Amino acid sequence: MESLEASGSMRLNQEVATSWCHPANRVHRFIALILMCFLCFGSYFCYDTPGALADNFKDDSHLNTSQFALLYSIYSWPNVILCFIGGYLIDRCFGVRLGTIIYMTIVFIGAVVFAFGVYINAYWVMILGRFIFGIGGESLQVAVNNYVVLWFNGKELNMVFGLQLSFSRFGSTVNFWVMEPIYRWVANYYGGYEKLGVALFIASMTCLGSLICGLILGWMDHRAERILGRQEEQSKDEPFHILDVLHFKPVFWLVSVICVAYYLAIFPFIALGKLFFERKFDYVPQDANTVNSMVYLLSAALSPFFGILIDKTGRNVTWVILSIITTIGSHFLMAFTFVNPYVGVISLGISYSLLASGLWPLVAMIVPESQLGTAFGICQAVQNLGLATVIIFAGMIVDKYGYLMLEMFFLGCLFVSLIAGVLIYIVDSANNGILNLSPSKREALKKTSVRTDETANLLEHAESSDQEEPDAGGAGGAGGEGGAVSGVTSSEPSPRDPAQAHSDRIRSRYIAQLLPATNIPDRP
Amino acid sequence: MNIQTVLIFIGLSFAYGQDRKITAKLNPGYNTYSTDITLVYVKCEGVSDTIHQIWDFTRHMPTVIFAVASVNSTLNVTWTDNAPKDLIMSEEPTYSFATAIDKIYEYDDLDDNGHIDPKFPQKPYPLDKIVWHLNESLLTDKEAMVHVYGMLNGRHGRREIINIKLDLIPFKDYAVDLPHLIHTANSTLFDISLVNLTTSKEYNASRYAIHLLLVSTDPETDTMHYTMRKSLDDEHTPGVFEIIEIKSPSLFEKGEGGYLQFRPVAYLQSTRGVASSTIARVSAFSRTSLPRYSTLKLFYSNLNTDLLVQDMFVSFGEAGDGYYKQHNYTAWSFTIGYGTPPIESFSFFVIMIISIGLGVPVVLALSGITYVLLRRYRHNNNRTRFTNED
Repeated sequence: MESLEASGSMRLNQEVATSWCHPANRVHRFIALILMCFLCFGSYFCYDTPGALADNFKDDSHLNTSQFALLYSIYSWPNVILCFIGGYLIDRCFGVRLGTIIYMTIVFIGAVVFAFGVYINAYWVMILGRFIFGIGGESLQVAVNNYVVLWFNGKELNMVFGLQLSFSRFGSTVNFWVMEPIYRWVANYYGGYEKLGVALFIASMTCLGSLICGLILGWMDHRAERILGRQEEQSKDEPFHILDVLHFKPVFWLVSVICVAYYLAIFPFIALGKLFFERKFDYVPQDANTVNSMVYLLSAALSPFFGILIDKTGRNVTWVILSIITTIGSHFLMAFTFVNPYVGVISLGISYSLLASGLWPLVAMIVPESQLGTAFGICQAVQNLGLATVIIFAGMIVDKYGYLMLEMFFLGCLFVSLIAGVLIYIVDSANNGILNLSPSKREALKKTSVRTDETANLLEHAESSDQEEPDAGGAGGAGGEGGAVSGVTSSEPSPRDPAQAHSDRIRSRYIAQLLPATNIPDRP
Repeated sequence: MNIQTVLIFIGLSFAYGQDRKITAKLNPGYNTYSTDITLVYVKCEGVSDTIHQIWDFTRHMPTVIFAVASVNSTLNVTWTDNAPKDLIMSEEPTYSFATAIDKIYEYDDLDDNGHIDPKFPQKPYPLDKIVWHLNESLLTDKEAMVHVYGMLNGRHGRREIINIKLDLIPFKDYAVDLPHLIHTANSTLFDISLVNLTTSKEYNASRYAIHLLLVSTDPETDTMHYTMRKSLDDEHTPGVFEIIEIKSPSLFEKGEGGYLQFRPVAYLQSTRGVASSTIARVSAFSRTSLPRYSTLKLFYSNLNTDLLVQDMFVSFGEAGDGYYKQHNYTAWSFTIGYGTPPIESFSFFVIMIISIGLGVPVVLALSGITYVLLRRYRHNNNRTRFTNED
């Protein structure tokens, strides 16, 4: 196999259909996909171990509720800054392979330190462990998102994002299923807080598994890069400065508003949901947990299908708006009726999966690929800032004003994201609805508006779009002008060989550039 | 013109809000001042009737009596040495409802579920020797409030205190303290806390329960009605969606009568909060008679009417909470009132969020659609000009 690789990429390229060893081969990429899925499994599994063993944390470690809540909140705090830097480091320093391995190692260490803290019953060590775990956790997600974009772009992107997300959620769900039996089994051999610690040590082994997946994937990616000649692409990257975030398109910031506001109505809800179901709907704790985990379970089951759905239908913005509206409906049901909460939670789970499948690929369409790591990083940083503060804030709302007000708060967040969604739709429509095209139109537009590398200067795009955006959004006259211009560009013949543009990475770049390209006006 | 409308609106709502004119007197007709004698008489004059309220602590049992009579009716109190001798109304009341706490029960909750069950050991502590000291009072035409405390017979040499606070305001509002029950001009807030009571050595699972007497001028054969409804709104009592009402037969059947209203929640610490809350449980009713030497007896023996007298327990706690001794504190509130029990409504804040939240996206979407359609229309016009050459 080694000699085959050494014989050069030209020959391998001809063997695409026959050899599964070739990175462009379906089977090969499928293996990579599985590894990518397992990459996040460990961190999601360990993220929710306190939740799955909440009672035991109180009984064995004698944590009160606020100490327990801090275990979750502390995870988000480092990520406010770090997953932004984490994304930046992947872009500029480590590269995706080394970055993934480093972050995965940090996650593993964090999980072990946390388990050790529980084992010796030292609260500050637990907090330290969760903090370290948090440092790695979200940055790892950024790295994996980058892997996904690198390996699967174009039509598969949505589906793969969905599948990957689904597997992450599956990690949470499995955690809820197995931790209690593991704990009971450990209880045969240990007592007190030690049994909890040992159970958590066992849980941290999932992170070791994910680390191994990371190492294998790193090797596969290294090989793929050599064979497909991706190295050249990377070296051609445009100069990038962190200040470029200032030039991200306004649409990107609208997307990040949804990233924050929408998720605020999901994760804190799940964190506080158990008691809500117990108190409002008279559920026993076990049933309350089952209702509560429905969101994760549905998201695990449905994300790939929604990924496919969005791949087939396109129109991401419409789907995003639709899922925000159905989420509002679900929260309305739970806040203002006594209808069986399964109805509300199931529709919440469905809407949540649909939104995640539609929203994240939008980022890849808006932002140039070289800035993608930073862009995902920013999305998750602001999301974490929201979550870190809001989990505490939501607890205070419950204590002071009750669950109805908590629901009102969630609805408020959802209304903000609905407004952002509608604004995206409007801004996008003003720019010919690139984000909201059906796949066939997207394909057609891509073929006709291919641009040379010289004109693909991203900074220029960003800057010109910065000037153009307010015009297009504000004044009707400028919009008409822009439309005329894009009509002209679309009739231009492609200066570039279509076959050459067929690599996944390049394709993704074109998708990323579709939006800026139409925004370059030949201003008089 | 707008300001005028607003002013009229405010004026109207204020006039509507101030339902009754209240006049409160401490120990009316009693000339010596003593903090150990507390009888408050509140006259609540409405448009069509007057509610006379007696809050009495002089005869040991904390008692609240509501008597409804015509607008111009009066009530006079005559005194013996240190207790009312007679409560004389100028006319026979059209309706009367009363409640009193005659005993505190300690019980051994071997099932650890908070319910007081006759099958488990229990000890009654009658309040017939307790002396209530006036701690605080506020008797104006805006509010009538007294706060008294009593020592539980000085048992065990500990300061075992029962605090009781009664509060009436002449308009509808939420109580200041949790569980923020709804006050109206027709209902009085009754708040009781059991502080630092000693638990019996022979009981391992000691809890305390309150024994309440309920009296109404309804047929003796009838019964009080327990209703529990669920509210969507736990804004004022976080985490508690249930509202319990004990309705007198006349309220239950004719829609107007005496009631107790409360949330099934009690608090285990003096700083009340969700974290320190526990469940308050109501037992079934049983029939009983008016206690001798009580203010209830004094008042109702003057009336020539049917009298329904029932009692019930209110017990506190839930499984695994470590029983009463865990916190040595239990506080519980209810309102006693006449008419129909108030129902809670969504606050202005809730309605505002929903209308803004739904309104803004709709307006945005409509203006967006208009803009896009307009733009497409122009765009098509432009494009026709360009593509005509093909």
